[in-house]
Amino acid sequence: MKPSKQRHSNGGPRLRRLWPVLFLLVVVAAVLIRLHSAAPASAAHRSAVVGRVIDPQGQPVARASAQILLNGASDPIAEATTQRDGTFILDLPTDDRPDSARVVITHPHFHPYSWEAARSDLEHLRAGYTVRLPDIALQRRLSAGFWVATLTFAGMLVLIATERLHSAMAALLGVAVVLGVSLVGQPFSEGLFILDFERAIEHVDFDVIFLVMGMMIIVGTIEQTGIFQWMAYQAYRLSRGRVWLLATILMLLTSVASALLDNVTTMLLVTPITLQIALTLGIDPLSLLVPEILASNVGGVSTLIGTPTNVLIGSYADITFNDFLGNLTPGVLIIQATLTLYVLLVYRRQYRKASAAASDALLARLEENARITQPDKLRKAGAIFLVVLALFVLGEQIHLVPAVTAILGAVAILLAVRADIQEMLLVVDWTTLMFFIALFIVVGAIQEVGLVSYIAAGINDLVRGNLLAATLVTLWATGLLSAAIPTIPLTAALLPVAGFLTSNLPAAGNKVLYYSLSLGASLGGNASLIGAANNMVCSGICDQAGYPITYQGFLKVGLPATLLTLTVGTLWLLIRF
Amino acid sequence: MGRILCATRGGEASYRAQDAAIALALERGDELIFVYVVNTRFLERTARAVRPDVVAEEMAHMGGFLLTMAQERALAQGVTAETWIRYGELGSELIEAAIEEGIDTVVLGRPAGGEGAFLPPELEALATEIREKARVEVRVI
Repeated sequence: MKPSKQRHSNGGPRLRRLWPVLFLLVVVAAVLIRLHSAAPASAAHRSAVVGRVIDPQGQPVARASAQILLNGASDPIAEATTQRDGTFILDLPTDDRPDSARVVITHPHFHPYSWEAARSDLEHLRAGYTVRLPDIALQRRLSAGFWVATLTFAGMLVLIATERLHSAMAALLGVAVVLGVSLVGQPFSEGLFILDFERAIEHVDFDVIFLVMGMMIIVGTIEQTGIFQWMAYQAYRLSRGRVWLLATILMLLTSVASALLDNVTTMLLVTPITLQIALTLGIDPLSLLVPEILASNVGGVSTLIGTPTNVLIGSYADITFNDFLGNLTPGVLIIQATLTLYVLLVYRRQYRKASAAASDALLARLEENARITQPDKLRKAGAIFLVVLALFVLGEQIHLVPAVTAILGAVAILLAVRADIQEMLLVVDWTTLMFFIALFIVVGAIQEVGLVSYIAAGINDLVRGNLLAATLVTLWATGLLSAAIPTIPLTAALLPVAGFLTSNLPAAGNKVLYYSLSLGASLGGNASLIGAANNMVCSGICDQAGYPITYQGFLKVGLPATLLTLTVGTLWLLIRF
Repeated sequence: MGRILCATRGGEASYRAQDAAIALALERGDELIFVYVVNTRFLERTARAVRPDVVAEEMAHMGGFLLTMAQERALAQGVTAETWIRYGELGSELIEAAIEEGIDTVVLGRPAGGEGAFLPPELEALATEIREKARVEVRVI
């Protein structure tokens, strides 16, 4: 538990040890660029049957089996598997002149479908032409695998929410169940199949994984420099004992830091220094810390990299850094201003109690604790971070995806600060990355079996094709659910739902539902103490300092703040979209 | 002259324990030490974590600040107190410190809201453990 001392060794060997990792990161960046710039392969074919398989909601069905049987034979003459867009091509041998042709589509989670070729189709095939089938809509079936996947996902949420298991462990357990049941159960009953390993890996969004990893390295370097503490102390000096001003600046500082870095990191680093500032002023530390938590959750939503949920949403819905800046940041500024007024009203009596009774020794200790500890590292890492931010903004002009920008930034920082590789391995939170990978697979499982489609169809019926109603339901339901259900798995599960509604509702192409999801997931984190990870880490530190944040105490301030900010968020979405 | 070890944090609940330890030190003429134990175990509750050593360092700064407050409180009452910062679980660190440093009395404060006639079970268990393993007097205030 003791803080490790910085290693002092000369730069040469350290740099040499760093090269393999740097090389790996560069290769990853190159692969990601390649993946994103690769043109879709085209296929040329003659005398074939082509088609597209969709589900009842019109979404493409991938990995369905398509077979064509000629002249009443029981064995297929050609087979294919549907692609991600649901399409398939069944190429026929050129010497075959069929008298009859039947296409059979099968998929473990749908009822089988059969299509008989009409006389005109047969003539086309005999002449060596291609027959294009109308879209084939498969009907879902509630298999045993559906219930296994659904219960696994629900169980995972419960385990995480009740802290019975670490989130990464709970998600890995979920993966073990869905893959284990698929593998072991399928030989006994076809209905037990959920998804195979190959398909499971396809559900993992590696853009998210590498963006999160790159940002972890960047933030991990900056967090050691003392910049957060120094800025909080400057806020204290600037406010000159006016606590309302101090609270306003600290909220703004926390909000901006959360938008550009990460909510949890921000709260972990500003909580101890804020607590000391509050004690110096003779006020209850919670009157500054609870507003900081609220501001952190609000600020994080304003950028693509501010919260893990925004990273998920951005990658899934192809929403860029600039899209977030244009569509959410102005709204977040309005929400932040409203929240600040609310906080000043709630804590007005507490702020009036401030006194400047701290001794010289305490003031000296506060100043000492708030100094920048590694100015050289801060200069280098700060400069690179600014370049990374610029690349996030400008990157889309040159098709530079955020994951690549983050990896490039991470490599640049590692080289610039000549980081010890062991230290860098500590910076990356591998359990979080494992959690994301496992979560993608479990959410993929409920997508495969159709749970997401059922939920999406249910919401679609509820809102009756009305985009405004869908926006309100998405924002408020996500906001209120986030108070009790862990935000990241909730968002991951709701993303395909938002995707379905976006593609089915008129005028939803502006992606308003994704922004609703983003706002709801972040603002909802303020409703309860367990609503967000940054709430809990701040609470942990306060507990250690003898100023525990109680669940009820937080609820009293946080729930009205959530309702207020969700209301302002609703107004913003209505104005913007 | 004996040695009194007072485990402290901040807040009203800790001030009561600090005052009791100060009064005891004055009464007996004992040496008084305030100790703050940095424990980052709460980080395990979140999936996403900052480097534990960075957090521990910040918490040690915070602990140092709280200890300076305790020290000033003691000085105002005529007692010069020493301060320590330790890292780990509260119980095991207090036991270890008591054994290594020749402590005679350990003073523990009740948590906020636990001022009733009966000790909270965890605190009672902690006091018993320290008493048995370190063989020192334990006072719960």
